[in-house]
Amino acid sequence: MADVDVLVVGAGPGGAAAATAAKRAAPELAVLLVERDRAVGTPVRCAEGVGDAGLREFADPDGAPWVARRIRRVIFLAPDDTEVAVAEREVGWILDRTRFDAALAAEACAAGVELRVGTEAAAMSRDGGRWAVRLRTSAGGGQDETVRARVVIGADGVETMVGRWAGLDTRVPARDMESCAQYLVQGIACDPDAIYLQFGSAIAPGGYAWIFPKGPGIANVGLGIVALKADGRTARQYLDEWMTHRFPDGAKTGYTVGGVIVHTTVARTSGDGVLLCGDAAHMVNPLSGGGIVNAMKSGRLAGGTAAAAIRAGDATATGLAGYHRAWMALLGDDHRKYYAIKQALERFDDAFFNGLARTVNAIPRDRRTLGRIFAAALVRHPALLPVAARFFV
Amino acid sequence: MAGSLGAMPFDRRAEIALVDLATCDRCGLCLPLCPPAAIRLALADLIVDAATCTGCRKCVAPCPVGALRMAARG
Repeated sequence: MADVDVLVVGAGPGGAAAATAAKRAAPELAVLLVERDRAVGTPVRCAEGVGDAGLREFADPDGAPWVARRIRRVIFLAPDDTEVAVAEREVGWILDRTRFDAALAAEACAAGVELRVGTEAAAMSRDGGRWAVRLRTSAGGGQDETVRARVVIGADGVETMVGRWAGLDTRVPARDMESCAQYLVQGIACDPDAIYLQFGSAIAPGGYAWIFPKGPGIANVGLGIVALKADGRTARQYLDEWMTHRFPDGAKTGYTVGGVIVHTTVARTSGDGVLLCGDAAHMVNPLSGGGIVNAMKSGRLAGGTAAAAIRAGDATATGLAGYHRAWMALLGDDHRKYYAIKQALERFDDAFFNGLARTVNAIPRDRRTLGRIFAAALVRHPALLPVAARFFV
Repeated sequence: MAGSLGAMPFDRRAEIALVDLATCDRCGLCLPLCPPAAIRLALADLIVDAATCTGCRKCVAPCPVGALRMAARG
């Protein structure tokens, strides 16, 4: 039985950030990063959009091989297809997640982390103050090996098993699960420097549809729905209808599905010898559904916390408790406010958004910021005021 | 675990979630929706544990590709 200090389960952006942070904080520690899939960064279950400022905390996108496209504007589409472009500024990037995730994992390896791909955590139990984790390798007929770790960091995504094995409640109410489907589409006409977001109860009930360009004429075209609000069709069926409406001649050269948890951070993100980060701990922005940078920020916190706790000789729930507090102060408390806004927006119908689009389009384009859009929404619908008060206080 | 469908009582445990592996994309969306953690992803297979599934149906509608359905236990 092999022993490591830190075992990170899942080599997405959160897991790679966690492993790198742990190793850099305490180079004497043995840090093992395992990935179930045989190649880091595949399959991609993501629209691949990321904000500029958050990304730059971790990596420089200028000229990077893992960037697909720089995004300079956001175009909102009302349910009736009215377009609303917001003020142009440095908005963000569309990544090539396969390359991006691999680059982050390579950075972890360069820091001294051991990476094993094609290796999944199959079970986990407490063993003399450590976690005994059964690892199963897809090559070699599914052979098992048990590794003991002082701290396990669960970066194992929406489907987290680490959380459940550790007794942390990672269940999601159905109303807070976005069911998503996405095509990679080629040969379409859209602004390659803009992301498009469309709302509408018939298009994407409980969520939105998106066009995220990866190059001229190429885009991730997808949507997320909340099944409880849907008419019985699946996310894929909603997407097929939207595609037929918007891009009937586009070539669908790729396809993916997945869940996005638009909830607030789980009540407990840590326990004895265990920390959860990223999607596994429901650290996605519940309003936008964005989670890449959040996963990296929480991963970095988790790795640093694990390293410090092991050095201090206390990797119990008490020794790791600072992680939850730090995350809530960093972003978790904000997510509660975003969640309140999400709930408030759910009360509005398509007619409200169609009307809002026309009001906002009356604002000169260079002055059309998100703040002014929100102000216009408040004038049209004073019921939003209590939410705004909570948000801006 | 009894529920009611209109006026007709029925036993949820009489049903079980079944996954069509030919349709399932192994995305893992259904796992956190399952209250008793009856669904697992293991070596790229999606497995519903018959003894643990309570027949609550929470996994069925959210599946993006419609790979889950309820069936009578048998």
